Amino acid sequence: MTDVALRGVHKSFGENPIVRGIDLDVRAGEFTVLVGPSGCGKTTLLRLIAGLEQPDAGDILIGGKRVNDAPPRERGVGMVFQSYALYPHMTVRENLAFALNLRGTSRVEIEQRVREVAEMLELMPLLDRKPKQLSGGQRQRVAIGRAIVRRPDVFLLDEPLSNLDAALRVQMRGELARLHQRLKSTIVYVTHDQVEAMTLATRLAVFDQGKLQQHGAPLELYRRPANRFVAAFLGSPAMNFLRGRYSNGHLAGDGFNVPIGALSATFDGRDLLVGIRPQAMTLAGPDAAVLRGEIEAIERLGNEGFAYLKTPAGPLVARFDGGGAELAVGANAGVQLAPESLHLFDAVSEEALA
Amino acid sequence: MRAAALLALLASLVAGSSAPVAAEPLADTRARVLVWHAYRAAEEQALLELIARFNASQSTYRAEALALPYDAYASKLTAAIPTGHGPDLFVFSQERMAVWARDELLAPLDEDAIESGREFPQAALAALRSGGHLYGLPLSMKCDALYYNRALIQTPPTTSDELEALAIRNTDRAAGRYGLAYEANDFFHHAAWLHGYGGQIFAEPTHRPQLDSSQAIAALAFVRHLALEDRALPEEPSGTLVAQLFNAGKAAMVINGPWFAGEVQGVSYGIAPLPIVSATGLPAAPLLTVEAALVSSRSPVQAGAKALARFLVSTEGAALRARVGRQVVATRSAYTFPDIGNDPLLTAFRAASEKAVPMDNSPAMLSVWEPEKRALVSVLSGANSPTAALAQAQRRMLAMTRISPPVQSPWPYAAIAAMISIAWLAWRRRLSLKRVTARVSTRRGELMRAILYCAPAASSILVLVLVPFAIGIGLSFFHRADGHYTFVGLANFIDILASRDYRVSEPMSFWFTLAVTLLWTVVNVAFHVSIGLGLALLLKNPLLRFKGVYRVLLVIPWAIPNYITALVWKGMFHRQFGAISALLSALHIQPVSWFTGFSTAFAANVMTNTWLGFPFMMVVALGALQSIPQDLYEAADVDGASAWAQFRHITLPLLKPALLPAIILGAVWTFNMFNIVYLVSGGEPGGSTDILVSEAYRWAFQRNEQFGFAAAYSTLIFLFLLGWSAISRRIAREQPLENA
Ligand SMILES: Nc1ncnc2c1ncn2[C@@H]1O[C@H](COP(=O)(O)OP(=O)(O)OP(=O)(O)O)[C@@H](O)[C@H]1O
Ligand SMILES: [Mg+2]
Repeated sequence: MTDVALRGVHKSFGENPIVRGIDLDVRAGEFTVLVGPSGCGKTTLLRLIAGLEQPDAGDILIGGKRVNDAPPRERGVGMVFQSYALYPHMTVRENLAFALNLRGTSRVEIEQRVREVAEMLELMPLLDRKPKQLSGGQRQRVAIGRAIVRRPDVFLLDEPLSNLDAALRVQMRGELARLHQRLKSTIVYVTHDQVEAMTLATRLAVFDQGKLQQHGAPLELYRRPANRFVAAFLGSPAMNFLRGRYSNGHLAGDGFNVPIGALSATFDGRDLLVGIRPQAMTLAGPDAAVLRGEIEAIERLGNEGFAYLKTPAGPLVARFDGGGAELAVGANAGVQLAPESLHLFDAVSEEALA
Repeated sequence: MRAAALLALLASLVAGSSAPVAAEPLADTRARVLVWHAYRAAEEQALLELIARFNASQSTYRAEALALPYDAYASKLTAAIPTGHGPDLFVFSQERMAVWARDELLAPLDEDAIESGREFPQAALAALRSGGHLYGLPLSMKCDALYYNRALIQTPPTTSDELEALAIRNTDRAAGRYGLAYEANDFFHHAAWLHGYGGQIFAEPTHRPQLDSSQAIAALAFVRHLALEDRALPEEPSGTLVAQLFNAGKAAMVINGPWFAGEVQGVSYGIAPLPIVSATGLPAAPLLTVEAALVSSRSPVQAGAKALARFLVSTEGAALRARVGRQVVATRSAYTFPDIGNDPLLTAFRAASEKAVPMDNSPAMLSVWEPEKRALVSVLSGANSPTAALAQAQRRMLAMTRISPPVQSPWPYAAIAAMISIAWLAWRRRLSLKRVTARVSTRRGELMRAILYCAPAASSILVLVLVPFAIGIGLSFFHRADGHYTFVGLANFIDILASRDYRVSEPMSFWFTLAVTLLWTVVNVAFHVSIGLGLALLLKNPLLRFKGVYRVLLVIPWAIPNYITALVWKGMFHRQFGAISALLSALHIQPVSWFTGFSTAFAANVMTNTWLGFPFMMVVALGALQSIPQDLYEAADVDGASAWAQFRHITLPLLKPALLPAIILGAVWTFNMFNIVYLVSGGEPGGSTDILVSEAYRWAFQRNEQFGFAAAYSTLIFLFLLGWSAISRRIAREQPLENA
């Protein structure tokens, strides 16, 4: 059981700062998921931990030891590459056994561990194939197997499920969760997929522009996003935002004035950014509506759905119950909101307000 | 032998077709006399001037000159004259006279003989006689004399003791000065000492070369003493080196022929005859080559050719050649002109030629040069004693002049060949007849067009590859002696494979040479691959800067023609003046005589060829390396692989599909890398570093033109490489492209 910690880590490629001062603690045995938009530096961060990149500043600690100067092979990490990086000239069996062979593990033990992993990942019938004879999903499983078979203290997985079809992805997600429970190793997992992030993570770390935006339990982040970025990034559809000046229980902006309930007196006369998840904003009849707009698109999910509206306060997404058969694109609709589920942010810094 | 005649005809057609064609005749009704020569500069100018005078002097003939490159001159003559494409008159030395006379390529000039006796030196005429006939009129005489630097030598030596004393006195090795400089390892120059010690090349009355006579040993011991005890000669002297030393005032005396005068610059020199050998009282008589005007027996205008020949050697012709062409003319009367008779260069060489021994014009002489050269090199480098070296030379010479194998009837061979080809054809037909006929009948038009498209390439392959190939194979069943081919069946192959005239452990044995060739190939390819791969790995290093520059620099050896590289390296390996010796001296390491021992000579060849060969492997490896994804190394890094393990388990296996064909190809190239072996070590010491192709070359062109034997060698090389390609194809097939 090993923890991983980053302390003030910086990394630039040429003139471009990619990782800009990150402090991150991954506790031993924890499944930490890193999320963030494409190009925000997630892979770079994993590579820094693995030792494939050197930080420009800051320290990387694995198991409490500073490993800045240790080469990858001494860091005791296993990594699943975004590109799999399977050895094309080796069979699946040889790919799995490679790291063990290098360490001089006994033949019998290698045999046994490869079999164990192959069974777990359903690779048994593929053991004698070369990587190019495998499908994308099969390759991904081999890549995972290659990392697991070594039983490393820390797993680094870079979007390992991105190439799988939806069904296989769900199945593999379950496998990974079970694997984590069994191995109890520390896992750092990069994904784009919110569902993966929410379901797998013990703790979730959200990155943007090379900075850690927030770090905590998934529900914690969902419920109390630290800033507008995290709020918008988590949850689907994305959170609605209204920008305006608060006074007297109302938020007033250009062409709208919405009652949002009583807030602390300190907010009076202040510019706010108010976030409301689509789930907390529902279509309402003319009498209950606080804001009206034109329906631009409708997403019907069966027993509920989302309507995309153009309102004076900007584009908004609102939930509706049932099939929404009565709704039509181009029609006018009103929305109401639950004042108790508002998220308040500073209009300038966009940080959450207590 | 009809088959032999046919082959000879084919061979000469191939050779003759490349002979130059003379210019279109002008609107001149006179009979044309075509003159071939290999003269350049002043000598050519003199000849052209004389031809112009000849044309103006009479109205029956019109002479026309054609200059040929010297290298191919003799073989062009041999090939062109019998087919009637040759010259009417040509200029050549007596070197091949007996062969040509025997093959009836020359018209005898006996009617001129009586008058000639007064006009020309006996030695010159003797050189041009064969079988009792005179075959040429002597133009000029070329033999060695002693050049001396007047600033260093007041009176030239008259005896060999004086020569030695002067040589020692004028030698200062530390300052790079030598008392005497000449191409001591060239038998043409050495022959004077042989004669001075009372020896001869040919033993009488058998008239066979005898290289290991006691006189020959004494002569060689004398030169050895000059070189190794007195240390008065520069080591490994080449013609260029001799000229450089003399022009720099660093060689007091030089032994060389009249042509050397043209190379001297800025030195006041005198010319004296070679000295008398003190031990015997005999003059050191140099070898005499006589350049003569020869008339082709196939010429339709023999009378004209003879008239021109007479004009060239007449007093007027000789005087002009002496004045303009600076030739040491054979015509005595030319020296009555005071300007010629008092010319120091001409008179000095004329005097020298009077004592000279005409070079034997029989074919046996042709097999003397190589063994003598090897003996001289091995003695002067200190590797061998004169006795041992000359005994070896004698054996080598005898082995080279192979006794003709018994003549055999070609019919059994023809029958076997026919049966094999019929069986093969039948087998092929069984395989593909149906398919082919089906296609032909359905798409006749298309087939015709396809044939048309292929015809140009196919016919050039036929002419340039298949025909010579077939001739080569056919030739290997013949023995060529005295200009005639006889069918000897497999005798050539049997002689080669049974190593008949030499022990298996001797350099001239096929098996020895094969072993050397294999060693050569393996060592070279190993270096090529390891250096090429190493550099490719360096060039791939992301931290390395100026990669483009290095890449270009490293490919340069490949871009330079390999014979130039070979010559440059040959110079660098020179014991005294080479860059490598200079480098070793700077490091306080004793310079090495590269070409006296097998291992150093072999190493010199390998170094040169490695220099030539690594860029190819580097380029191949670089390309292959760049196609290996970087993330594999990262994965291996994470998996715990050290740099070495990554190289072994990732780089090497992924390079294999690209490198293997390159290695197979490189092995074939190296196996046949004639230029390097021939030009760098030249087979030294004693032919031990020769490889199969250079041996084949020597059999064809340096050992009595035994084309059949050489062709058998080549056929064996071909069979060997055929086997290798079959094996390597199997290796390559077992190694499917793994890189997805
Ligand atoms: N070796 C490199 N040299 C220069 N720039 C690089 C290098 N590696 C990554 N980058 C840049 O750094 C930024 C972050 O890259 P990184 O791969 O870490 O993003 P990511 O968050 O993993 O994105 P994705 O979700 O698309 O995989 C990108 O803008 C990328 O272009
Ligand atoms: Mg990435």
